[in-house]
Amino acid sequence: MLEISDLVVSAGKFKLIVSQFIVRDGDWIIITGRSGSGKTLLLETIAGFYSSDSGSLILNGRDISKLPPEKREISIVFQDYSLFPHMNVKKNISFGLRMKGVSGIEVIVSEYSKMLGIESLLFRRPSGLSGGEKQRVAIARALAVRPRLLLLDEPAGALDPVTKKNLWNDIRNLYLGGGLTIIHVTHDMGEAEILGNKKVVMEEGRIVSDMSDISDSLNGDIDE
Amino acid sequence: MKRPDLFTSGCVLLGSVPVILIILGLIVLVGLQIADPAAFIDAITDPSVSDAIILTFSAAGVSTLLLFLFGTPLAYLLARKKFFLISVIEGLIDLPLIIPHTVAGIMVYLLFMHQGLLGLPLSITGIRFEEAFPGIVVAMLFVSVPYYVNTVREGISRVPIRLELVARSLGATPGRSFLLIVLPLTTRHLLTGGLMAWGRGVSEFAAVVMIAYNPMIISTLIYQRFNTGGLYAATAVAFLMVIFSLLLFVLIRMIGGRLLSEE
Repeated sequence: MLEISDLVVSAGKFKLIVSQFIVRDGDWIIITGRSGSGKTLLLETIAGFYSSDSGSLILNGRDISKLPPEKREISIVFQDYSLFPHMNVKKNISFGLRMKGVSGIEVIVSEYSKMLGIESLLFRRPSGLSGGEKQRVAIARALAVRPRLLLLDEPAGALDPVTKKNLWNDIRNLYLGGGLTIIHVTHDMGEAEILGNKKVVMEEGRIVSDMSDISDSLNGDIDE
Repeated sequence: MKRPDLFTSGCVLLGSVPVILIILGLIVLVGLQIADPAAFIDAITDPSVSDAIILTFSAAGVSTLLLFLFGTPLAYLLARKKFFLISVIEGLIDLPLIIPHTVAGIMVYLLFMHQGLLGLPLSITGIRFEEAFPGIVVAMLFVSVPYYVNTVREGISRVPIRLELVARSLGATPGRSFLLIVLPLTTRHLLTGGLMAWGRGVSEFAAVVMIAYNPMIISTLIYQRFNTGGLYAATAVAFLMVIFSLLLFVLIRMIGGRLLSEE
Protein backbone atom coordinates (compact mmCIF):
# COMPACT_ATOMS: atom_id res chain seq x y z
CA MET A 1 0.00 0.00 0.00
CA LEU A 2 1.17 3.51 -0.82
CA GLU A 3 0.07 6.30 1.46
CA ILE A 4 0.87 9.89 0.58
CA SER A 5 0.28 12.52 3.26
CA ASP A 6 0.68 16.30 3.18
CA LEU A 7 2.97 16.13 0.20
CA VAL A 8 4.35 19.40 -1.21
CA VAL A 9 6.63 19.40 -4.26
CA SER A 10 7.99 22.50 -5.99
CA ALA A 11 8.96 22.47 -9.65
CA GLY A 12 9.89 26.03 -10.54
CA LYS A 13 6.83 28.15 -9.82
CA PHE A 14 4.52 25.13 -9.93
CA LYS A 15 3.51 23.49 -6.66
CA LEU A 16 2.08 20.00 -6.25
CA ILE A 17 0.08 19.66 -3.06
CA VAL A 18 -1.45 16.32 -2.08
CA SER A 19 -3.00 16.20 1.37
CA GLN A 20 -3.87 12.51 1.24
CA PHE A 21 -3.73 9.83 -1.45
CA ILE A 22 -3.97 6.14 -0.67
CA VAL A 23 -3.25 3.34 -3.13
CA ARG A 24 -4.13 -0.12 -1.85
CA ASP A 25 -2.41 -3.29 -3.03
CA GLY A 26 -4.08 -4.46 -6.22
CA ASP A 27 -5.50 -1.04 -7.07
CA TRP A 28 -5.32 0.33 -10.61
CA ILE A 29 -5.81 4.03 -10.13
CA ILE A 30 -6.42 6.25 -13.11
CA ILE A 31 -5.37 9.88 -12.70
CA THR A 32 -6.86 12.25 -15.23
CA GLY A 33 -6.62 15.98 -15.66
CA ARG A 34 -5.57 18.61 -18.14
CA SER A 35 -2.02 19.09 -19.33
CA GLY A 36 -0.02 20.90 -16.68
CA SER A 37 -2.25 19.75 -13.82
CA GLY A 38 0.67 17.97 -12.13
CA LYS A 39 -0.13 14.34 -13.02
CA THR A 40 3.33 13.50 -14.33
CA LEU A 41 5.00 15.45 -11.51
CA LEU A 42 3.07 13.32 -9.01
CA LEU A 43 4.23 10.12 -10.73
CA GLU A 44 7.81 11.33 -10.93
CA THR A 45 7.76 12.27 -7.26
CA ILE A 46 6.49 8.80 -6.35
CA ALA A 47 9.26 7.33 -8.54
CA GLY A 48 11.84 9.47 -6.72
CA PHE A 49 12.84 11.73 -9.63
CA TYR A 50 11.66 14.82 -7.73
CA SER A 51 12.26 15.34 -4.06
CA SER A 52 9.43 16.63 -1.92
CA ASP A 53 9.57 19.84 0.11
CA SER A 54 7.55 18.18 2.84
CA GLY A 55 5.14 15.35 3.52
CA SER A 56 5.51 11.60 3.51
CA LEU A 57 5.32 8.73 1.04
CA ILE A 58 4.85 5.44 2.85
CA LEU A 59 5.15 2.31 0.70
CA ASN A 60 4.28 -0.92 2.52
CA GLY A 61 4.98 0.68 5.89
CA ARG A 62 8.32 2.23 4.91
CA ASP A 63 8.90 5.93 4.33
CA ILE A 64 10.40 6.15 0.85
CA SER A 65 10.34 9.95 0.53
CA LYS A 66 14.11 10.23 1.06
CA LEU A 67 15.07 7.10 -0.86
CA PRO A 68 16.73 7.40 -4.28
CA PRO A 69 14.78 5.91 -7.23
CA GLU A 70 16.92 2.77 -7.34
CA LYS A 71 15.91 1.83 -3.80
CA ARG A 72 12.13 2.37 -4.18
CA GLU A 73 11.19 -0.76 -6.18
CA ILE A 74 8.85 1.32 -8.32
CA SER A 75 8.87 1.02 -12.12
CA ILE A 76 7.73 3.68 -14.53
CA VAL A 77 6.65 3.55 -18.18
CA PHE A 78 6.63 6.81 -20.14
CA GLN A 79 4.67 7.79 -23.22
CA ASP A 80 7.93 8.11 -25.20
CA TYR A 81 8.94 4.53 -24.19
CA SER A 82 12.42 5.66 -23.07
CA LEU A 83 14.01 2.45 -24.31
CA PHE A 84 17.80 2.35 -24.24
CA PRO A 85 18.61 2.82 -27.93
CA HIS A 86 22.05 1.19 -27.78
CA MET A 87 20.69 -2.08 -26.32
CA ASN A 88 18.60 -4.70 -28.03
CA VAL A 89 15.18 -5.67 -26.68
CA LYS A 90 16.59 -8.50 -24.57
CA LYS A 91 19.17 -6.23 -22.95
CA ASN A 92 16.51 -3.58 -22.35
CA ILE A 93 14.23 -6.07 -20.58
CA SER A 94 17.06 -7.61 -18.57
CA PHE A 95 18.63 -4.24 -17.62
CA GLY A 96 16.91 -3.96 -14.24
CA LEU A 97 17.52 -7.62 -13.45
CA ARG A 98 21.25 -7.13 -14.10
CA MET A 99 21.28 -4.03 -11.92
CA LYS A 100 19.65 -5.92 -9.08
CA GLY A 101 21.87 -8.99 -9.53
CA VAL A 102 18.87 -11.29 -10.01
CA SER A 103 19.58 -14.88 -11.03
CA GLY A 104 17.67 -16.68 -13.79
CA ILE A 105 17.56 -13.63 -16.06
CA GLU A 106 16.97 -15.72 -19.21
CA VAL A 107 13.86 -17.34 -17.73
CA ILE A 108 12.40 -14.05 -16.53
CA VAL A 109 13.05 -12.29 -19.86
CA SER A 110 11.47 -15.20 -21.70
CA GLU A 111 8.45 -15.15 -19.37
CA TYR A 112 7.71 -11.43 -19.83
CA SER A 113 8.50 -11.34 -23.54
CA LYS A 114 6.02 -14.20 -24.08
CA MET A 115 3.45 -12.47 -21.89
CA LEU A 116 3.67 -9.35 -24.06
CA GLY A 117 4.07 -11.14 -27.38
CA ILE A 118 7.53 -9.77 -28.13
CA GLU A 119 9.61 -12.95 -27.99
CA SER A 120 10.43 -12.66 -31.70
CA LEU A 121 11.88 -9.16 -31.17
CA LEU A 122 14.49 -9.97 -28.52
CA PHE A 123 17.51 -9.30 -30.71
CA ARG A 124 16.15 -6.24 -32.44
CA ARG A 125 17.18 -2.67 -31.61
CA PRO A 126 14.45 -0.23 -30.47
CA SER A 127 14.99 1.86 -33.61
CA GLY A 128 13.58 -1.01 -35.70
CA LEU A 129 10.36 -1.42 -33.68
CA SER A 130 6.90 0.06 -34.15
CA GLY A 131 5.40 2.29 -31.46
CA GLY A 132 3.25 -0.53 -30.09
CA GLU A 133 6.19 -2.93 -29.98
CA LYS A 134 8.34 -0.33 -28.23
CA GLN A 135 5.69 0.19 -25.57
CA ARG A 136 5.36 -3.56 -25.00
CA VAL A 137 9.13 -3.75 -24.50
CA ALA A 138 8.98 -0.81 -22.07
CA ILE A 139 6.22 -2.55 -20.09
CA ALA A 140 8.09 -5.88 -20.08
CA ARG A 141 11.20 -4.07 -18.84
CA ALA A 142 9.25 -2.33 -16.09
CA LEU A 143 7.53 -5.55 -14.96
CA ALA A 144 10.57 -7.85 -15.17
CA VAL A 145 12.00 -6.38 -11.94
CA ARG A 146 8.70 -7.23 -10.18
CA PRO A 147 8.04 -3.74 -8.84
CA ARG A 148 5.87 -3.06 -5.81
CA LEU A 149 4.19 -0.36 -7.84
CA LEU A 150 3.91 0.26 -11.58
CA LEU A 151 3.58 3.85 -12.77
CA LEU A 152 2.18 4.42 -16.27
CA ASP A 153 2.50 7.90 -17.74
CA GLU A 154 0.22 8.11 -20.78
CA PRO A 155 1.51 4.73 -21.98
CA ALA A 156 -0.67 4.69 -25.11
CA GLY A 157 -0.45 8.42 -25.79
CA ALA A 158 1.72 8.13 -28.89
CA LEU A 159 -0.05 5.14 -30.47
CA ASP A 160 -2.62 4.85 -33.23
CA PRO A 161 -6.16 3.83 -32.16
CA VAL A 162 -5.86 0.12 -33.04
CA THR A 163 -2.44 -0.33 -31.42
CA LYS A 164 -3.69 1.68 -28.44
CA LYS A 165 -6.61 -0.69 -27.86
CA ASN A 166 -4.38 -3.74 -28.23
CA LEU A 167 -2.04 -2.28 -25.63
CA TRP A 168 -4.96 -1.50 -23.28
CA ASN A 169 -6.00 -5.15 -23.59
CA ASP A 170 -2.50 -6.35 -22.82
CA ILE A 171 -2.16 -4.15 -19.73
CA ARG A 172 -5.63 -5.17 -18.56
CA ASN A 173 -4.83 -8.86 -18.97
CA LEU A 174 -1.58 -8.43 -17.05
CA TYR A 175 -3.47 -6.65 -14.28
CA LEU A 176 -6.25 -9.22 -14.14
CA GLY A 177 -3.52 -11.89 -13.94
CA GLY A 178 -2.97 -10.53 -10.41
CA GLY A 179 -0.19 -9.09 -8.32
CA LEU A 180 0.01 -5.64 -9.89
CA THR A 181 -0.64 -2.27 -8.30
CA ILE A 182 -0.81 0.50 -10.88
CA ILE A 183 -1.03 4.28 -10.91
CA HIS A 184 -1.91 5.29 -14.43
CA VAL A 185 -1.90 8.86 -15.72
CA THR A 186 -3.90 9.72 -18.81
CA HIS A 187 -5.79 12.59 -20.33
CA ASP A 188 -7.51 10.23 -22.77
CA MET A 189 -11.06 9.99 -21.45
CA GLY A 190 -11.65 6.77 -23.43
CA GLU A 191 -8.71 5.17 -21.66
CA ALA A 192 -9.94 6.49 -18.31
CA GLU A 193 -13.40 4.99 -18.91
CA ILE A 194 -12.19 1.54 -19.87
CA LEU A 195 -9.21 0.94 -17.62
CA GLY A 196 -8.56 1.03 -13.89
CA ASN A 197 -10.67 0.31 -10.86
CA LYS A 198 -10.49 3.75 -9.28
CA LYS A 199 -10.24 7.23 -10.67
CA VAL A 200 -9.16 10.67 -9.44
CA VAL A 201 -8.97 14.02 -11.18
CA MET A 202 -6.14 16.54 -10.80
CA GLU A 203 -6.22 20.28 -11.38
CA GLU A 204 -3.49 22.85 -10.80
CA GLY A 205 -1.32 20.57 -8.72
CA ARG A 206 -4.11 19.23 -6.53
CA ILE A 207 -6.34 16.17 -6.47
CA VAL A 208 -9.77 17.73 -6.80
CA SER A 209 -12.04 14.69 -6.74
CA ASP A 210 -12.65 11.91 -4.27
CA MET A 211 -11.38 8.52 -5.30
CA SER A 212 -14.28 7.09 -7.31
CA ASP A 213 -14.72 3.37 -7.71
CA ILE A 214 -14.95 2.38 -11.38
CA SER A 215 -14.20 -1.31 -10.98
CA ASP A 216 -17.00 -2.28 -13.40
CA SER A 217 -15.04 -0.77 -16.26
CA LEU A 218 -12.51 -3.56 -16.16
CA ASN A 219 -15.20 -6.04 -17.13
CA GLY A 220 -16.21 -4.05 -20.19
CA ASP A 221 -15.11 -4.84 -23.73
CA ILE A 222 -12.31 -3.08 -25.52
CA ASP A 223 -13.26 -2.95 -29.18
CA GLU A 224 -10.59 -4.08 -31.58
CA MET B 1 21.19 17.63 -64.61
CA LYS B 2 19.47 20.45 -62.80
CA ARG B 3 21.43 23.71 -62.65
CA PRO B 4 22.14 24.85 -59.07
CA ASP B 5 20.19 27.93 -58.01
CA LEU B 6 21.86 31.29 -57.36
CA PHE B 7 21.99 30.78 -53.60
CA THR B 8 23.66 27.35 -53.88
CA SER B 9 26.13 28.74 -56.42
CA GLY B 10 26.93 31.58 -53.99
CA CYS B 11 27.49 29.10 -51.16
CA VAL B 12 29.82 27.03 -53.36
CA LEU B 13 31.74 30.14 -54.43
CA LEU B 14 32.17 31.55 -50.92
CA GLY B 15 32.60 28.16 -49.23
CA SER B 16 35.40 27.19 -51.58
CA VAL B 17 37.61 30.05 -50.33
CA PRO B 18 38.79 28.36 -47.06
CA VAL B 19 39.09 24.99 -48.83
CA ILE B 20 41.21 26.49 -51.60
CA LEU B 21 43.33 28.29 -49.00
CA ILE B 22 44.17 24.98 -47.29
CA ILE B 23 44.79 23.25 -50.63
CA LEU B 24 47.10 26.08 -51.79
CA GLY B 25 49.01 25.85 -48.49
CA LEU B 26 49.52 22.13 -49.07
CA ILE B 27 50.51 22.68 -52.70
CA VAL B 28 53.27 25.16 -51.87
CA LEU B 29 54.51 22.87 -49.11
CA VAL B 30 54.57 19.87 -51.47
CA GLY B 31 56.10 22.02 -54.23
CA LEU B 32 59.04 22.90 -52.02
CA GLN B 33 59.67 19.22 -51.22
CA ILE B 34 59.63 18.33 -54.92
CA ALA B 35 62.03 21.18 -55.65
CA ASP B 36 64.42 20.04 -52.91
CA PRO B 37 63.92 16.30 -52.21
CA ALA B 38 67.24 16.07 -50.38
CA ALA B 39 65.95 18.30 -47.56
CA PHE B 40 62.89 16.11 -47.23
CA ILE B 41 64.98 12.93 -47.09
CA ASP B 42 67.18 14.57 -44.44
CA ALA B 43 64.07 15.38 -42.41
CA ILE B 44 62.77 11.80 -42.67
CA THR B 45 66.06 10.33 -41.56
CA ASP B 46 66.80 12.88 -38.85
CA PRO B 47 66.16 11.19 -35.46
CA SER B 48 65.46 14.55 -33.78
CA VAL B 49 62.48 14.99 -36.14
CA SER B 50 61.02 11.55 -35.46
CA ASP B 51 61.64 12.04 -31.71
CA ALA B 52 59.79 15.37 -31.84
CA ILE B 53 56.85 13.84 -33.71
CA ILE B 54 56.59 10.93 -31.27
CA LEU B 55 56.87 13.33 -28.31
CA THR B 56 54.19 15.64 -29.73
CA PHE B 57 51.68 12.88 -30.46
CA SER B 58 52.25 11.07 -27.16
CA ALA B 59 52.05 14.26 -25.03
CA ALA B 60 48.84 15.25 -26.82
CA GLY B 61 47.56 11.68 -26.27
CA VAL B 62 48.27 11.83 -22.52
CA SER B 63 46.63 15.25 -22.23
CA THR B 64 43.55 13.87 -24.05
CA LEU B 65 43.39 10.89 -21.68
CA LEU B 66 43.60 13.28 -18.72
CA LEU B 67 40.82 15.35 -20.27
CA PHE B 68 38.69 12.20 -20.59
CA LEU B 69 39.24 11.54 -16.90
CA PHE B 70 38.65 15.08 -15.61
CA GLY B 71 36.69 16.70 -18.44
CA THR B 72 33.96 14.08 -18.82
CA PRO B 73 32.55 14.49 -15.29
CA LEU B 74 32.71 18.27 -15.73
CA ALA B 75 30.85 18.03 -19.06
CA TYR B 76 28.22 15.88 -17.33
CA LEU B 77 27.71 18.44 -14.56
CA LEU B 78 27.42 21.29 -17.06
CA ALA B 79 24.95 19.34 -19.20
CA ARG B 80 22.74 18.01 -16.42
CA LYS B 81 22.88 20.17 -13.32
CA LYS B 82 21.68 23.67 -12.67
CA PHE B 83 23.84 25.46 -10.18
CA PHE B 84 24.71 28.98 -9.18
CA LEU B 85 28.18 29.26 -10.69
CA ILE B 86 27.44 27.53 -14.00
CA SER B 87 27.91 30.67 -16.15
CA VAL B 88 31.19 31.48 -14.41
CA ILE B 89 32.49 27.94 -14.98
CA GLU B 90 31.37 27.99 -18.63
CA GLY B 91 33.23 31.28 -19.09
CA LEU B 92 36.36 29.88 -17.43
CA ILE B 93 36.31 26.82 -19.70
CA ASP B 94 36.06 29.00 -22.79
CA LEU B 95 38.90 31.28 -21.63
CA PRO B 96 41.66 29.35 -23.48
CA LEU B 97 39.71 30.00 -26.70
CA ILE B 98 39.93 33.75 -26.41
CA ILE B 99 43.26 34.49 -24.73
CA PRO B 100 46.50 34.49 -26.71
CA HIS B 101 48.24 31.18 -26.18
CA THR B 102 51.33 32.98 -24.97
CA VAL B 103 49.14 34.16 -22.08
CA ALA B 104 47.95 30.58 -21.54
CA GLY B 105 51.61 29.58 -21.50
CA ILE B 106 52.45 32.19 -18.88
CA MET B 107 49.57 30.97 -16.70
CA VAL B 108 50.72 27.36 -17.06
CA TYR B 109 54.30 28.38 -16.32
CA LEU B 110 53.33 30.34 -13.19
CA LEU B 111 51.35 27.37 -11.93
CA PHE B 112 53.77 24.59 -12.76
CA MET B 113 57.25 26.17 -12.58
CA HIS B 114 59.53 24.80 -9.91
CA GLN B 115 58.39 27.43 -7.39
CA GLY B 116 54.82 27.56 -8.77
CA LEU B 117 51.56 27.08 -6.92
CA LEU B 118 51.23 23.50 -8.15
CA GLY B 119 54.77 22.93 -9.36
CA LEU B 120 56.26 23.27 -5.87
CA PRO B 121 54.10 20.69 -4.06
CA LEU B 122 54.28 18.32 -7.02
CA SER B 123 58.08 18.63 -7.19
CA ILE B 124 58.16 16.98 -3.76
CA THR B 125 56.69 13.86 -5.38
CA GLY B 126 59.41 14.01 -8.02
CA ILE B 127 57.27 15.37 -10.86
CA ARG B 128 59.06 18.14 -12.72
CA PHE B 129 57.26 20.30 -15.29
CA GLU B 130 59.84 22.82 -16.49
CA GLU B 131 61.62 21.56 -19.60
CA ALA B 132 59.97 18.17 -19.17
CA PHE B 133 57.24 15.93 -20.63
CA PRO B 134 54.66 16.71 -17.86
CA GLY B 135 55.05 20.44 -18.63
CA ILE B 136 54.20 19.81 -22.29
CA VAL B 137 51.19 17.72 -21.26
CA VAL B 138 49.72 20.37 -18.92
CA ALA B 139 50.23 23.12 -21.50
CA MET B 140 48.44 21.04 -24.15
CA LEU B 141 45.71 20.14 -21.67
CA PHE B 142 45.16 23.78 -20.74
CA VAL B 143 44.49 24.89 -24.31
CA SER B 144 42.44 21.77 -25.22
CA VAL B 145 39.92 21.96 -22.36
CA PRO B 146 37.19 23.94 -24.21
CA TYR B 147 37.33 21.72 -27.30
CA TYR B 148 36.78 18.54 -25.28
CA VAL B 149 34.41 19.75 -22.56
CA ASN B 150 32.09 21.71 -24.87
CA THR B 151 31.82 18.84 -27.36
CA VAL B 152 31.12 16.20 -24.72
CA ARG B 153 28.68 18.47 -22.88
CA GLU B 154 26.75 18.89 -26.12
CA GLY B 155 26.67 15.10 -26.55
CA ILE B 156 25.47 14.45 -23.00
CA SER B 157 22.75 17.08 -23.24
CA ARG B 158 21.39 15.21 -26.27
CA VAL B 159 20.85 12.03 -24.22
CA PRO B 160 17.27 12.30 -22.89
CA ILE B 161 17.39 12.60 -19.12
CA ARG B 162 14.46 10.20 -18.90
CA LEU B 163 16.74 7.36 -20.00
CA GLU B 164 18.82 7.95 -16.90
CA LEU B 165 15.72 8.24 -14.72
CA VAL B 166 14.29 4.98 -16.07
CA ALA B 167 17.65 3.29 -15.50
CA ARG B 168 17.60 4.57 -11.90
CA SER B 169 14.05 3.28 -11.35
CA LEU B 170 15.25 -0.12 -12.59
CA GLY B 171 17.93 -0.24 -9.91
CA ALA B 172 20.94 1.52 -11.44
CA THR B 173 22.91 3.84 -9.18
CA PRO B 174 23.75 7.29 -10.63
CA GLY B 175 27.26 6.06 -11.46
CA ARG B 176 26.04 2.94 -13.24
CA SER B 177 23.40 4.85 -15.19
CA PHE B 178 26.17 7.24 -16.29
CA LEU B 179 28.50 4.41 -17.31
CA LEU B 180 25.89 2.16 -18.93
CA ILE B 181 23.50 4.69 -20.47
CA VAL B 182 25.06 8.14 -20.84
CA LEU B 183 28.61 7.24 -21.84
CA PRO B 184 27.72 4.71 -24.58
CA LEU B 185 25.21 7.15 -26.03
CA THR B 186 27.85 9.88 -26.08
CA THR B 187 30.49 7.80 -27.91
CA ARG B 188 30.40 9.95 -31.03
CA HIS B 189 30.93 13.16 -29.04
CA LEU B 190 33.60 11.58 -26.84
CA LEU B 191 35.52 10.56 -29.97
CA THR B 192 35.03 13.91 -31.68
CA GLY B 193 35.93 15.86 -28.52
CA GLY B 194 38.95 13.64 -27.93
CA LEU B 195 40.09 14.03 -31.52
CA MET B 196 39.68 17.81 -31.42
CA ALA B 197 41.51 18.05 -28.09
CA TRP B 198 44.29 15.81 -29.35
CA GLY B 199 44.58 17.82 -32.55
CA ARG B 200 44.67 21.05 -30.57
CA GLY B 201 47.43 19.63 -28.38
CA VAL B 202 49.46 18.49 -31.38
CA SER B 203 49.24 21.93 -32.99
CA GLU B 204 50.10 23.89 -29.85
CA PHE B 205 53.29 25.91 -29.76
CA ALA B 206 53.12 29.12 -27.73
CA ALA B 207 51.76 27.64 -24.49
CA VAL B 208 54.19 24.72 -24.60
CA VAL B 209 57.29 26.72 -25.41
CA MET B 210 56.78 28.86 -22.30
CA ILE B 211 57.20 25.93 -19.95
CA ALA B 212 59.17 23.46 -22.07
CA TYR B 213 61.31 24.63 -24.98
CA ASN B 214 63.05 21.30 -24.51
CA PRO B 215 62.37 18.47 -25.10
CA MET B 216 61.22 19.84 -28.44
CA ILE B 217 57.75 19.12 -29.71
CA ILE B 218 57.37 19.34 -33.46
CA SER B 219 56.13 22.98 -33.47
CA THR B 220 59.15 24.04 -31.41
CA LEU B 221 61.47 22.12 -33.70
CA ILE B 222 59.99 23.78 -36.81
CA TYR B 223 60.36 27.18 -35.15
CA GLN B 224 63.97 26.40 -34.18
CA ARG B 225 64.79 25.18 -37.71
CA PHE B 226 63.18 28.32 -39.16
CA ASN B 227 65.29 30.54 -36.91
CA THR B 228 68.57 28.71 -37.46
CA GLY B 229 68.30 27.31 -41.01
CA GLY B 230 65.67 29.47 -42.65
CA LEU B 231 62.44 28.70 -44.45
CA TYR B 232 63.63 25.69 -46.44
CA ALA B 233 65.02 23.94 -43.36
CA ALA B 234 61.66 24.32 -41.63
CA THR B 235 59.34 23.28 -44.48
CA ALA B 236 60.65 19.70 -44.78
CA VAL B 237 59.82 19.07 -41.13
CA ALA B 238 56.50 20.91 -41.51
CA PHE B 239 55.61 18.76 -44.52
CA LEU B 240 56.39 15.57 -42.62
CA MET B 241 54.22 16.76 -39.75
CA VAL B 242 51.31 17.45 -42.11
CA ILE B 243 51.57 13.93 -43.57
CA PHE B 244 51.66 12.28 -40.13
CA SER B 245 48.77 14.38 -38.83
CA LEU B 246 46.62 13.63 -41.86
CA LEU B 247 47.35 9.91 -41.66
CA LEU B 248 46.57 9.77 -37.95
CA PHE B 249 43.39 11.82 -38.26
CA VAL B 250 42.11 9.64 -41.08
CA LEU B 251 43.03 6.49 -39.15
CA ILE B 252 41.28 7.66 -35.98
CA ARG B 253 38.22 8.74 -37.97
CA MET B 254 38.11 5.31 -39.61
CA ILE B 255 38.44 3.46 -36.29
CA GLY B 256 35.85 5.78 -34.74
CA GLY B 257 33.50 5.27 -37.67
CA ARG B 258 33.84 1.49 -37.37
CA LEU B 259 33.20 1.61 -33.63
CA LEU B 260 30.09 3.73 -34.15
CA SER B 261 28.74 1.52 -36.92
CA GLU B 262 29.16 -1.51 -34.62
CA GLU B 263 27.16 0.37 -31.97
